[in-house]
Amino acid sequence: MTPAWSSGPFRRRALLLLAAAALVLVVSLLDGCARDGGDADRPGGSGRTTVTIGTFGVFGCKQAGLYEEYERLHPGVTIRESVIERNDAYYPQLLTHLAAGSGLADIQAMEVGNIHQVAAAQGDLFVDLGRAKGVRRRDWLPWKWAQATTRDGRTIGLGTDIGPIAVCYRKDLFRRAGLPTDREAVGRLWAGDWQRYIDTGRAYTRRAPAGTVFTDSAAGLYNASVHGYAERYYDRRGRPVYANSPAVRTSWDLAVQAVRAGLTARLKQFEKPWDQAYANGRFATVACPPWMLGYIKEKSGAAGRDKWDVATAPRPANWGGSFIGVPKAARHRAAAIELAVWLTAPAQQARLFERQAGVPSTPASYAMPQVRDARNAYFGNAPIGAIFTTAARSIPLLVHGPMEAQMGTAFTDVGIPQVEQQGRPARAGWRAAQKEIENAVDG
Amino acid sequence: MTATTTVVEGAPAGQAAGRRQGRAGPGPWRSRLYRWDVRCSPYAFVAPFFLFFAAFGLFPLLYTGWASLHRVELTSPGRMEWAGLHNYARLLGNDFFWNALRNTFTIGVLSTVPQLLMALGLAHLLHYRLRAATFWRVALLTPYATSVAAATLVFVLLYGRDYGMVNWALDAAGIGPVDWQNGTWSSRCAVSSIVVWRWTGYNALIYLAAMQAVPDELYESAALDGASRLAQFRHITVPALRPTILFTIVVSTIGATQLFGEPLLFGGAGGQKGGAAHQFQTLGLYLYEQGWFNFHLGRACAVAWTMFLILLLIAAAGGLIARRLRKEG
Amino acid sequence: MNPAGPRPTTAARRVVPAPRAGRQLHGGPLVYAVLTLFTAGSLLPLVWTAVAASRDNARLARTPPPLWFGGNLLENLGSAWTDANMGLALFNTTLVAGMVALGTVLFSTVAGFALAKLRFRFRRALLLLTVGTMMVPPQLSVVPLFLVVARLGWTDQLQSVVLPTLVSAFGVFFMRQYLVEALPTELVEAARVDGASSWRVVWHVVLPVARPAMAVLGMLSFVQAWNDFFWPVIALTQENPTVQVALTGLGRGYVPDQAVVMAGALLGTLPLLLAFTLFGRQIVGGIMRGAVKG
Repeated sequence: MTPAWSSGPFRRRALLLLAAAALVLVVSLLDGCARDGGDADRPGGSGRTTVTIGTFGVFGCKQAGLYEEYERLHPGVTIRESVIERNDAYYPQLLTHLAAGSGLADIQAMEVGNIHQVAAAQGDLFVDLGRAKGVRRRDWLPWKWAQATTRDGRTIGLGTDIGPIAVCYRKDLFRRAGLPTDREAVGRLWAGDWQRYIDTGRAYTRRAPAGTVFTDSAAGLYNASVHGYAERYYDRRGRPVYANSPAVRTSWDLAVQAVRAGLTARLKQFEKPWDQAYANGRFATVACPPWMLGYIKEKSGAAGRDKWDVATAPRPANWGGSFIGVPKAARHRAAAIELAVWLTAPAQQARLFERQAGVPSTPASYAMPQVRDARNAYFGNAPIGAIFTTAARSIPLLVHGPMEAQMGTAFTDVGIPQVEQQGRPARAGWRAAQKEIENAVDG
Repeated sequence: MTATTTVVEGAPAGQAAGRRQGRAGPGPWRSRLYRWDVRCSPYAFVAPFFLFFAAFGLFPLLYTGWASLHRVELTSPGRMEWAGLHNYARLLGNDFFWNALRNTFTIGVLSTVPQLLMALGLAHLLHYRLRAATFWRVALLTPYATSVAAATLVFVLLYGRDYGMVNWALDAAGIGPVDWQNGTWSSRCAVSSIVVWRWTGYNALIYLAAMQAVPDELYESAALDGASRLAQFRHITVPALRPTILFTIVVSTIGATQLFGEPLLFGGAGGQKGGAAHQFQTLGLYLYEQGWFNFHLGRACAVAWTMFLILLLIAAAGGLIARRLRKEG
Repeated sequence: MNPAGPRPTTAARRVVPAPRAGRQLHGGPLVYAVLTLFTAGSLLPLVWTAVAASRDNARLARTPPPLWFGGNLLENLGSAWTDANMGLALFNTTLVAGMVALGTVLFSTVAGFALAKLRFRFRRALLLLTVGTMMVPPQLSVVPLFLVVARLGWTDQLQSVVLPTLVSAFGVFFMRQYLVEALPTELVEAARVDGASSWRVVWHVVLPVARPAMAVLGMLSFVQAWNDFFWPVIALTQENPTVQVALTGLGRGYVPDQAVVMAGALLGTLPLLLAFTLFGRQIVGGIMRGAVKG
């Protein structure tokens, strides 16, 4: 036999390949170590500090130019934002990073549905921002402040936006259905009770323009209704009440009624078909927190210009909102605290509202002209500042619990779609939601 | 290595000593070195892999096994509370688990069977003498280069209920629109179709390779015997491909059992539930939901270990079948 | 069936043989028709990705869906590129996939060779362990793996994605299966008898034989590492992303822009598609050569 080692070219090439592989691996390892060491040496030392912010979705700070301004005010500080589009990917990552004490940004955002859980289970891993310099507790809505406070009184996150709800509606479709189009008059149609919203829907449906329905989804209606109650999934003593709280019962019945009466477009919110339905003008109303206005404008496009308007919701409710906190493991803790305090101060929150992010959680912002006088040209020049801040002031003190996010999705992602989209009986949908919760809650 | 080139008497087997520089005849030291080399080199060869494996494979595996015997929550993974077999016992009585197991099986069959059958058929066609043979092969392989994320993104748009292209075409053909996400079977078919799309071409090439290894004389003689083309396919091609088919079945089955990305992304927001009625929630998704959305890491680990055991069973069954086939062959 | 049966000798049979399924036969129109159908099915979703990426959000929302290219392709590619940090992502992914491919091939070949041809204690046990590992669902290991990576201080660094991915049980198994058949034991023994050290045997005997399988394994690992997203999304952030991680952050902004998301998906897939087009013959040839022994 002829041994293969006589074949020179292959040998050389293989050698090259192996050497390259080894080299790359070694370099990458060294690089890692070097970077690690470099970071450890850096804190506060010479030169620039890079403060990192981990967020989900859009906070709008960057878009509103807040980072830029802060960098201008604080030479030597650079802000870098790392965004994961969806909270359901962001939050588990945050939990793992917290548990490992590694991979954390200097400032981490938290959603209202998770803040209670973080405060309860990981509260001691966050800096107490209640004691940070420049923080005035009375700047915030009391319920917002309470949400991020642990049992022993430490505040692990400062409130950013809140989500008071209004109803966005299409004037053109309302007119064709013989309903009033003036936003005051529309608000009066359903003022006080979501049941009257359903009744309006029935009236709409009787004379609905071809190819349109009253509202987008039963789950949207459910959310808008349920978040207007103080006790939803947990009562004040922390006991789960998802099976029979008036909030859940009433909202579920509303959702089922809407489905039965054929008022909904059977869509899942924030999915592509929902976007497309905006473009095609499929539905006449949608319960909308302020941050949804930009979405509606973008998705409805030029075709929807001067057709949308905003009216007051039947009952005040809060849907969504966030906090930012500083983990104790943050690399630049002091700089991060300073930035977090600045970003959530009333003046900055007012500027965020101007850019159509959320409504400030600091009532002090409401009197500022950017908020008070805000109007939205796309939505028929509606006085959104007045509408949303009025709603914000009347939101009840909300009670939160650790698994409320899972309980909510059991209704909106399982129970209601089973009735709305899969045509199952209401009772089956209710049972499915309850079973879903039992499975999720019990470890 | 080239230091000692002196030829020494009594070299084992006394062969070819010093025929070339660098392969000197073994001296006492040399021969000890040689024996040492023979004895230890196998370990040196497997060491890099198993070292990494120990750190990044075995440790996580054992850790999850240990965690599956505890109450552990993702909210504080450091806190473990002994629970014995509680997590496993809970699975046995859990409808969601059995539903996921059934779905995994159903979607597995729906995606594996058509995929392999079509691959076999395609390989048969590719085996003809074709113009632009490479073009056909490369074109059929392109879906394989597409990531699950990118592929699912497109398929979600194509399968849209109200504005998707598939329903648009069905409508044009006079068939009513199908709700691809909410229907029980339609959603399973849609998820399976993504898998089939990505892997059919790849498997076709593997089959084609095996087909080309079948000696032409077999076909020639069969042809002379008057066997039809179909008969030749059934009686020569398929038996010759048996080991390859078995291999692809095993690989596809493993893939099907671990199916995760396609149904997750197909479901959109809340995709871990696999549809409103969990109609396309696979075991992989159930694990993900338990661990990452309900935060019950312990139970998620128990699901994972159960999946692992199921796969071991399947592999054992596959091994038995393979042995049986080999005996027959 | 007796394929090796006696050859018929009658002249009559030779005159009218039944059609043969061997490779000598030219494909008829039907063959081409069916192949065209499947090729279209394979390519259309990709082509449509490009179509969607060349439109805008509003057009994507209307029925009938767009069937032909619009004028926004470059613009959408541009925003996907800047929004998702795509330049860095592509560079990182190339690096990661390249290192994973090289490392996997290296480790798998030597380990596969040892498991296939060398006798040592625990061989069977290690082989079984390897095969067993293939069955482990990848979602399972994420939490402990993250703890390891965090302990090493590797979060958000590329080696946190590279090193765990190097552990490819499939690779070892694949190389072992290939070498069991492709590498004649006599060849190894002869080299041994020649007094070659084990490393020389690997270098001069095993590697040349294993080359086709190494190429396939390298290609498979590269593609897989390129497209992997579950673990990288957890280990990395948008600061230092791979392509798939970058894509998860895309379409953010106040409103997810579907056309931009599609453009991003296209950007992430394009390099592989390009490689498949340029080296299609080699890749296909590699898969086929490496697969026979599978």
